[in-house]
Amino acid sequence: MNLRDRLTGARLAFAGLVLIMVLLPSLATAFFVNFVMTQTLILGLAAATIVFLAKYGGMTSLAQLLMFGIAGFMFGNAALAGGARGLNLGWHPWAAVGFALLVTTVAAFVLGAIASRTTGIYFLMLTLVYGVIGYFVFAQIVEISGPGGITSIQRPDLLGPPIRLYYAGLLLSVLAYLGFRAVRRTAFGLALQGVRDDPVRMASLGFNVALHRTLAFTMAGFVAGLAGLLNVWWNGQIDPASISIGPTLILLIIAVIGGISSLEGAWLGAFVYVLVFTYLRDLPLVDRIGITEARFNTVIGVIVLAIMVLSPEGLTGIGQRLRRRLRRRVAAEAAPTAGDSLPVHTTQKELGGTRP
Amino acid sequence: MASVVQVRAVTVAFGGLRALRGIDLDIAQGERVAVIGPNGAGKTTLFNVIAGDIAPTSGAVVIRGQDCTYRPSRHRPRLGLARTYQKARAFAGLTVRENIYLALAGHRGRHRALWQSPTDHRMRDEAAEVASRVWLASQLDEVAGELAHGQRRQLELAMAIATRPDVMLLDEPASGLSRGERERLVELLESFDDQLTLLVIEHDMDVAFRIAQRVVVMADGEQVMAGSPEQVRSDPHVHQIYLGTEAAV
Ligand SMILES: Nc1ncnc2c1ncn2[C@@H]1O[C@H](COP(=O)(O)OP(=O)(O)O)[C@@H](O)[C@H]1O
Ligand SMILES: [Mg+2]
Repeated sequence: MNLRDRLTGARLAFAGLVLIMVLLPSLATAFFVNFVMTQTLILGLAAATIVFLAKYGGMTSLAQLLMFGIAGFMFGNAALAGGARGLNLGWHPWAAVGFALLVTTVAAFVLGAIASRTTGIYFLMLTLVYGVIGYFVFAQIVEISGPGGITSIQRPDLLGPPIRLYYAGLLLSVLAYLGFRAVRRTAFGLALQGVRDDPVRMASLGFNVALHRTLAFTMAGFVAGLAGLLNVWWNGQIDPASISIGPTLILLIIAVIGGISSLEGAWLGAFVYVLVFTYLRDLPLVDRIGITEARFNTVIGVIVLAIMVLSPEGLTGIGQRLRRRLRRRVAAEAAPTAGDSLPVHTTQKELGGTRP
Repeated sequence: MASVVQVRAVTVAFGGLRALRGIDLDIAQGERVAVIGPNGAGKTTLFNVIAGDIAPTSGAVVIRGQDCTYRPSRHRPRLGLARTYQKARAFAGLTVRENIYLALAGHRGRHRALWQSPTDHRMRDEAAEVASRVWLASQLDEVAGELAHGQRRQLELAMAIATRPDVMLLDEPASGLSRGERERLVELLESFDDQLTLLVIEHDMDVAFRIAQRVVVMADGEQVMAGSPEQVRSDPHVHQIYLGTEAAV
């Protein structure tokens, strides 16, 4: 592949976007960067694990926020010293990070192994049960969640200034995005897509279907754990209510807003969600028409409904549709007779060009 | 001669429906067996039991001396068994090369090397070689879902032969093929190594009788008769239950 092939439009757009994100702190207000964008990156990273499982594994998981929460709680328990809430292990912050990720990954492996024999609606329901049980575990075993949550959680010195946390979110988001996309081309990723499309066929070819699902769930759990760490560092605290059923569904809704089978859509969905929660109150007259903060979720619901009606593939799907329509119009103007067949050829070429 | 596949008194019930009612089958190494019978006779169900896709309600399946009755299908490739499906089941979103690659990788357990690229040369060359055996060499980079029907059947076959199996189960490989494509298929099946054991479900009598040494006739989940193609062709009972109803095909 030469340089020209590598510089496809999508790659240039991605590089451009990353560049803007890197420069953002000198372009936008500190509030926008440290509040809106950091939160977007954290929620986007967590929602991307839902998309990864759905897109490549055909598994719609409602347990990702639980993984996110486990990492947060474990960090809080391990890092805080005596006198605070939780276990007060008082470890070095990076040891606490390792511990949090280890527990999260092991939990994801075990829960993934149990869920690996189910698909479709049963998988969805089972992961919902995980979410519910997980919530009750943290809500009722106060030794590990500190009565009323664990507070005053400090982030490691390296990430002290808020701007560094933003960059950590950006780095992890970029790595997760590229990593999830790269997995698609590996032997494992190919097998995972086979498992998604026809598990019976994959088994008869000699693949261990349950193991592939389990490993995918474990990988997603690990990444959700990373997002969970960023989240406790950003929030400075975590309580069981933050992983209850409402927030669990909100993470799914974020993935749906962007498009459940679009990785980049996860961050887009998170951005829309954070924007609504941050800026809706500033719009003129919103409180006059009865939209108060307590009703913002209703607004989110209406937005999701509108998006779903326009395209089940979320905002990314709407974007693709617009682009296709535009291209068709351009093609029709260029060659009025061959108007419809042109875009088809273009897509085929794109596929051929990007395949290894 | 040593049996490669033994089916002993296998019954399969789907709820109240008894799809197989006590089937016995003994297949020697290198034998070519055709299974024929009207739709709903239980032929595909028999294959599903041998291939491990479903466990029988009672009875046993022994492959190369190992009891495989309740062993899941994923252990079959290691025993040298490969199968195709009646309805072509290649992965529609993947290319021909990737489909063949999956067959190769599943068989060798290479998929456990998580980060190995599926495009390493040896695999590429092997996939290309397999594709050329089923006349798909120029379709390697086409997406399976966009292949013509005949080509999809060829890909199905490619995925079975990719693993160089000792026992191959082909479920209606000629269905929906043109006359020319059938001719090529028979040629391909006849070109297989003598040691390869072949079980073929086939509706096309011409294809079935040309490749088989033994023909097993099934109806209503039971074996009606078995014998050489000549014996089966001239059996009046078979004519009545099978050829009689399907002669027009
Ligand atoms: N998974 C299944 N569930 C319920 N019934 C089935 C199933 N598979 C096959 N059958 C029934 O078993 C009988 C035999 O089917 P099959 O083995 O596919 O026949 P053949 O391949 O000879 O046409 C048919 O009546 C079919 O409807
Ligand atoms: Mg059948």
